[in-house]
Amino acid sequence: MKKYFLLILLFSLIVIKLSAQNADSMWVRENYYKTERMITMRDGINLFTAFYIPKDSSVKHPIIFNRTPYTCQPYGEDKFNTRLYESYWINYLKEGYIIAIQDVRGKWMSEGEYVDVRPFNPNKKGKEIDEASDTYDAIDWMINNIPGNNKRVGVFGISYPGFYSTMAALSNHPALKAVSPQAPVTDWFIGDDFHHGGALMIMDAFNFYSGFGKPRPKPTMVGSPGFNIPSQDNYDFFLRTGALKNFSKIMGDSIAFWNDLMNHPNYDEWWKARNPRNFVTNVKPAMLEVGGLFDAEDCFGAWNLYKAIEEKSKHTDNRLVMGPWFHGGWGGRSDGSYLGNVRFGSKTSEYYQKNIEIPFFNFYLKLKGTVHDIAEANIFFSGQNEWKTFTQWPPENVEYKNLYAKWDGRLSFQNGANLFKPEDRPKRPQSFSEYISDPAHPVPYTEDVHLGRTREYMTDDQRFASRRPDVLTFGTDILYDDVTLAGPVVADLMVSLSTTDADFVVKLIDVFPDDFKYDEKEMGKGNGNSYPMGGYQMLVRGEIFRGKFRNSFEKPEPFVPGKITEVKYTLPDVAHTFKKGHKIMIQIQSSWFPIADRNPQIFTDIYHCSDSDFQKSTIRVYHDVVNRTRFILPILNK
Amino acid sequence: MKKIILSLLSIALFHSMVSAQNFVKDNFTKVDTTIAMRDGIKLYTVIYIPKDESQRYPFLMERTPYSAGPYGANNYPRSLGPNDNLLKEKYIFVYQDVRGRYMSEGTNLEVTPYIPNRKTKKDVDESSDTYDTVDWLLKNIKNNNGRVGLAGISYPGFYATACLPGAHPAIKAVSPQAPVTDEFVGDDANHNGAFFLLDNFSFMNFFDMERNGPVKDYAKPVFSAGSKDAYQFYLKMATIKNTNGAKYYNNKSVIWNEYLQHDTYDAYWKARNIRTALKNINTPVLVVGGWFDAEDLFGALHTYEAIEKQSPNNNNRLVMGPWTHGAWAGGDWTKFATHEFGSNTSKYFQDSLETTFFNFYLKDKGNFTAAEATVFETGSNQWKSYSSWPPKNSRAVDYYFNDANKLSLQKTNNKNSFDEYLSDPAKPVPYTNGTFGRRNNEYMAEDQRFAALRPDVVVFETEELTEDLTLSGRINADLYVSITGTDADFIVKLIDVLPDTAATPKGSPRGFSMAGFQRLVRAEVMRGKFRNIYSAGPGGEKPEAFIPNKISEVKFDLNDVAHTFKKGHKIMVQVQSSWFPLVDRNPQQFMRIPDAEEKDFQKVTIRIYHDTEHASKIVLPVLK
Repeated sequence: MKKYFLLILLFSLIVIKLSAQNADSMWVRENYYKTERMITMRDGINLFTAFYIPKDSSVKHPIIFNRTPYTCQPYGEDKFNTRLYESYWINYLKEGYIIAIQDVRGKWMSEGEYVDVRPFNPNKKGKEIDEASDTYDAIDWMINNIPGNNKRVGVFGISYPGFYSTMAALSNHPALKAVSPQAPVTDWFIGDDFHHGGALMIMDAFNFYSGFGKPRPKPTMVGSPGFNIPSQDNYDFFLRTGALKNFSKIMGDSIAFWNDLMNHPNYDEWWKARNPRNFVTNVKPAMLEVGGLFDAEDCFGAWNLYKAIEEKSKHTDNRLVMGPWFHGGWGGRSDGSYLGNVRFGSKTSEYYQKNIEIPFFNFYLKLKGTVHDIAEANIFFSGQNEWKTFTQWPPENVEYKNLYAKWDGRLSFQNGANLFKPEDRPKRPQSFSEYISDPAHPVPYTEDVHLGRTREYMTDDQRFASRRPDVLTFGTDILYDDVTLAGPVVADLMVSLSTTDADFVVKLIDVFPDDFKYDEKEMGKGNGNSYPMGGYQMLVRGEIFRGKFRNSFEKPEPFVPGKITEVKYTLPDVAHTFKKGHKIMIQIQSSWFPIADRNPQIFTDIYHCSDSDFQKSTIRVYHDVVNRTRFILPILNK
Repeated sequence: MKKIILSLLSIALFHSMVSAQNFVKDNFTKVDTTIAMRDGIKLYTVIYIPKDESQRYPFLMERTPYSAGPYGANNYPRSLGPNDNLLKEKYIFVYQDVRGRYMSEGTNLEVTPYIPNRKTKKDVDESSDTYDTVDWLLKNIKNNNGRVGLAGISYPGFYATACLPGAHPAIKAVSPQAPVTDEFVGDDANHNGAFFLLDNFSFMNFFDMERNGPVKDYAKPVFSAGSKDAYQFYLKMATIKNTNGAKYYNNKSVIWNEYLQHDTYDAYWKARNIRTALKNINTPVLVVGGWFDAEDLFGALHTYEAIEKQSPNNNNRLVMGPWTHGAWAGGDWTKFATHEFGSNTSKYFQDSLETTFFNFYLKDKGNFTAAEATVFETGSNQWKSYSSWPPKNSRAVDYYFNDANKLSLQKTNNKNSFDEYLSDPAKPVPYTNGTFGRRNNEYMAEDQRFAALRPDVVVFETEELTEDLTLSGRINADLYVSITGTDADFIVKLIDVLPDTAATPKGSPRGFSMAGFQRLVRAEVMRGKFRNIYSAGPGGEKPEAFIPNKISEVKFDLNDVAHTFKKGHKIMVQVQSSWFPLVDRNPQQFMRIPDAEEKDFQKVTIRIYHDTEHASKIVLPVLK
């Protein structure tokens, strides 16, 4: 009886949702038509482009343009992309935008050769091309050939299409008025997708490139499936497969970008050419960088593309939005009211779409409304669970304070060194915490057995890690006042190794009070699971750093075994309030598996080393008056 | 709307409750009384007598420390007796508060020691109390047929066992179920001398409460404290000593203090090992236990074994099912954790074993044809009957630890081969994955992958089995170890590794798969200093320090299993040195652990050897 009733309820909810979508789908069919065109680039290569155009010819329409390596499916002028009416895109259609989606050069139905994160060429001559010139040529064609357009074009895209958005911004086409790179792929060595801090993000790289990276000899409507992992347990599969060269064997030799990854172990010129931040000078369109605080893929890109434009193109009308989202969560994949076990108290995705993105494009492309209400930086603060706006990012009133690791496992803002006269400091005994990092038992990045990389790990409870002997934990006392962080966190570790290399993972964690519970009325039902939130150790920010790059990403250096060495690196920005009654915790570990590949812990070419090269390392983290491990926190003053 | 349906549902439930309660009330007359024991102490006894006087009835009694209530002539419980068949069958059901508990006078003793040669009327124990009660019942309750049966689960299981030595001749059938049997070696309080902190800390708080004379209800627990995160809670508590801190026991629990005082297998514990009393037993016995019983699995197996060995001619039978503590008394038990048994194992037990046992011996009704041992075999999910337990065709097979994490029928030829790990009391190995306030009842069948990926757990695994392999009987772990300190715990876990083709149960969470699942089959802990606890002769029970870095043998039993590793599965063994907070932490130096200070807990490096001379192994009871 109860079951039956629930079924009816569920069914009627589905019916309501479906009928709303049906209505939208019918509206789109009645008011839009689709054309597919091959657009010829300056070098003669044709790119496949789908246009959804309003039938209403009484007014001129702006164009929203999305360039993608993931296909502009469905192909066929009678087939409409469901995203037009199943996501918030319907709002753009209701506003009368022309929607253009293009397969980038060398992918799917477009001709030409595909090059991953194709380098920007600042000095193109003649028929030389890059993604910026392809965008230029496409825009030029469409404003002159698509009927009823108002010659104002906007570009947006999430993830890889975010990279193509950045490249579009560099096209300098005068009709391009507004660009929104969202979770833009920006620097694949330093912080996005496939490397963080020089460590290979093996699980994402392998899973993605085993399919995406396959050669496409000629235009096709069919994609390439990835490698079918013969396991349901990623930890087991990636551990059993072992050294990177074993993954290369599985990949074979045809996946060009995998080979590139293997052959460019350091931050060489090849990588630098693939860092768009080097080229964002003189950016003319209005820019809106969007990203997720908890984006497992391109959190770095969103923060740092914004910063690069601020720095290198000061006159650009440049804005930043960061919300509590997983990768693309703001773009129709979730309502943004929770991630994993952590709740945010409101539908942040809808807030963003309605109050930021749509007004942004309406203003620049339709000259409608205003962008006065959209601040320079629109940042959602988890913990506090509210949007804050700033005239710059990081905010002006941020003070960088040192949080010191202590011998007793505590974190303190008190600088212990001040307790002793400088001349006495060297006489103090060394103080350190140590662990054995064993590549045969790397620290898992998440608690449960599963196959695909979760997106929730970015807010997961870290208690499973605290319980391991190879994870150091340091924590403050219970906070007697809110502490809000706004900006990048710097880890400044004083370490020694028994070997010649190691990774460091620093995790900034919000420890909830022991009696913490979500109030359902205020915070919603979240993911619907009952999870013990009392004492929850919420990952706020975690980042890995490959030790040998501590002095230079270009020129790695071995560690001298036993010698105390500084490893200092910056974690992506944080926007989080540690509430009164909570604690700040830092965890330090030397593996994060299998999101990051294992470091053999000897100084070597990791991309070509053998299983037998992996060895245990005893790692010490020092916290005495001379060797003070600290974390520099961007504390927002009230 | 949903609410309305829920309330309809609860009304329906309420109705079935009322009707069950009415059945008891309609069919039984209730008598609340006290019965004087030989020493004058009166035990509170509640008797339910069938109203139908057309026949005579046997008594079926449970003696309990958990209250014989509801008290008062007009208060009836929902149900009576071990199962509903027996309720409908009608017996004179008797519930008695044991000495010193609830409404009974006297002083309660932890697992009351048996007195072999009672001399005066002041010498009382549970056997004499049961004797005196039976004597009174036969004489004072009319319409009885002169026969008495006893049954009980857990602590009441102990009281059932305890009536056996020198039993009153009218006692004709006894069923100790998950009986508390030896709290130092294998039940509840300790396993091989390792203290079961998690269970006992919370149990004793609600058990050994203040009582000044008989009470219907104890006023309040000893203390009020708890946590949603037991691992964190007990780690923060740091030492056993701190359990007696002002916020906790504060020396207010007599039994807790006894536990802390008696940290070795001394006279206190030996007097509480009821097995030694099970000689010349002459009463039909049906011992019942559960393979997933986290509390008294040992007790069931060893009570049966002790009677078998010491009273070989007695009519003694064993039932072991795939149950948690007492689950056989519940309604439905077709699955547990990720196990699916294919049938309702509790119903089978109640209908075909328990009911027929009492009917036959107490009422001469029907036949009781159960085999000597009726055991449910996990893995193959079937009931098996044997004429002995362990089965005669079960033989011990050595599985040796090898290099490269292999478990093999062959010893290695290596000279100096070992695995080593650092056991850090600040980061003990959790007994379960996830965060729990209380003991995760499923831990005995839990996926052990969370442990396998720790650096302080060593793993040995066979190749995929080419045919089914069934184990039936006791397991023995025989380790050669060295430690850099003077003491350490050793936990050995036997695990069934499922193949990638294993089916995933319906209703599993998204992304969950049984492929590669490391299902715990059996595990046990040995507190290293008690490694000679099994050796014959006096002194074997004395703790012995390890000599740092010297290779020592640590040999101990794991409780019995009846389990089939199916073809394509793998057998895995994991060894670790903590199991927290199920078991308290070992400071890893030889000392009285209840006296240990926080600073006494130290890291040690532990080696598990697998060379020719020191061939660590697990001995499995393979059924031919």
